[in-house]
Amino acid sequence: MLNRFIQTNPTLSLTRASMKIWFRDRQAIFWTFFLPLVLITIFGMLDFGAFSTIGLGIVDQANNDSSRRLIDDIRDLNTFDLSETLSEEEEREALLDGDRDLVLIISPEFGASQSPVQRQVTVLYNQGQAQEAAAGQTIIQHVLDEMTFAEVGFPDRYSIDAQPVDSRNLRFIDFLLPGVVAMSIMQMGLFSVAFNFVQLKSRGILRRLLATPVRPASFLFAQVFTRLVVSILQTLVLIGLAVLAFDVQLAGNLGAIILLALLGGAVFVSMGFAVSGWAGSEDVAAPVANAIALPMMFLSGVFFPRDTMPEPLRAVADFLPLSYLADALRNVAIDGETLWSQWGDVLGLTVWLAVTFLVAVRLFRWE
Amino acid sequence: MPQQETDSPNIIEVHDLRKSYGGLKAVDGVSFSVRSGEVFGILGPNGAGKTTTVEILEGMRVPDSGTAIVNGIDVQKDPRAVKAVIGIQLQSSAYFDRMSLTELLDVMGSLYHREIDAMALLEKVQLADRAKALFKELSGGQKQRFSIAATLVNDPVLLFLDEPTTGLDPQARRHMWGLIKQFKEEGRTVLLTTHYMEEAEELCDRVAIMDHGKIAAMDRPEVLVASLLSRGFEKERTEKLANLEDVFLDLTGRALRDA
Repeated sequence: MLNRFIQTNPTLSLTRASMKIWFRDRQAIFWTFFLPLVLITIFGMLDFGAFSTIGLGIVDQANNDSSRRLIDDIRDLNTFDLSETLSEEEEREALLDGDRDLVLIISPEFGASQSPVQRQVTVLYNQGQAQEAAAGQTIIQHVLDEMTFAEVGFPDRYSIDAQPVDSRNLRFIDFLLPGVVAMSIMQMGLFSVAFNFVQLKSRGILRRLLATPVRPASFLFAQVFTRLVVSILQTLVLIGLAVLAFDVQLAGNLGAIILLALLGGAVFVSMGFAVSGWAGSEDVAAPVANAIALPMMFLSGVFFPRDTMPEPLRAVADFLPLSYLADALRNVAIDGETLWSQWGDVLGLTVWLAVTFLVAVRLFRWE
Repeated sequence: MPQQETDSPNIIEVHDLRKSYGGLKAVDGVSFSVRSGEVFGILGPNGAGKTTTVEILEGMRVPDSGTAIVNGIDVQKDPRAVKAVIGIQLQSSAYFDRMSLTELLDVMGSLYHREIDAMALLEKVQLADRAKALFKELSGGQKQRFSIAATLVNDPVLLFLDEPTTGLDPQARRHMWGLIKQFKEEGRTVLLTTHYMEEAEELCDRVAIMDHGKIAAMDRPEVLVASLLSRGFEKERTEKLANLEDVFLDLTGRALRDA
């Protein structure tokens, strides 16, 4: 009987107990599973990182064959979000309000003669949307070039042979998912150990256990094992949701992802033990754990790439354990890199594990 | 020092135990022995060194010097072997959150590699109806009874009870006394600490009275009383035939009240 086997083995029995206790803790479930799921759901639906369509307003003051042909050609492209009915005044207003990326103004003399001025259109563009504006200008220039070629009648032109490729279009959620997985592993490992262990000590539960012949290692094993299992579950649940609900394409090997989750879990669990060894009560453990977790959340490229940070800050941020974990998970899960190619991040995590483990052992107190 | 009056072997032998905290000599040269099967009480005011002495015997604390042999095992050399055969009730015990009483007892039993009948243990301390409850949901007396049940999971030969009735109402205290007498009948040895003299008189075969880390006197309660009287001691008032506790129990009954 499995039950009998577990019941007569202190390590297994404590592990089973520790699992039961963990999964009956609604608050822990909330922070570990529910909150990251909500984060992913919200950002999955917002998807504000995607390249939006280009809003183009057209003011046709010429209204002649040339201008109509230009507008027809632009319309045929089906590239722009077009607005054609407003006056120049209204279009300028819309541009100022950020409702347009570009406004194309065709002057009344457009196409009337061959003079350079009358072959020219004016484009007003939104400086805040430089990418969209530049792309829009290039497209309009292309349409104008086509018209020129048609008028001049050059038979052979340089051309582009455009071939569709089913490329992976990275969206914000693709960037965010590995970061949130890494962050929730950190939160779980750090807080769940720091709080629980301090509580077990301060309330005398640990002392009662030490009144039995149980080996302390059995108890520690149960605590660590439970959290590592949870870190794997977190990873699978969060990735599962992103794949099923938000069509995130998992490019990497699931085994490699789980190994990274385990390594990350081990780092933050031993960090939690270090905090709990140092802090005598829950009142101290809470702020200390927060003081470690919060800066990492914002410095480690969980929500936005670290490239955007000022250089001195980045120099520090690059060496944080959460940075290593988030980067490695991102490269493996989304970019499909092998675990081996991420040896730098894996090494970084391993060094952190060694350091936090040593600190935890140094600070560890049973009572 | 009182010597063995029967041939029953000593289950506890303590020789010249010492333990200091900073400059404070918590235990200052304590020696005594407890015979197998007896109820032995350590009495004394707060800070007398009772708990420290007991914790050294339990293998929970290391003495500065001296030896303690429990059930033939040197506690300092093999505390885990001692812990395996004794049952310890700490002054205040707490258990895991979010686990029922039966689950907690099962876990406690597993720490001794034992499969146990959790319900039978709960019945023994009249907590069978609370089997699915959490420890924190229990009343003070129920918590105390549960921790007694938890000390029994390994069927110990020797029980250490640290102030087992402190904070209990008279009914709960009588119930605890009944349990302790039952342990004696089952052939277990009990070492208890208490502040209550009537408790020691009621339960203990022998008592040691501690003060300032030393044993001031040690013998059977009636011998200690007789020796005091023989020195010419007289109580100001003669003993009443009943006291207020008797009135209280007469009015409120002896049944446990903690549901």
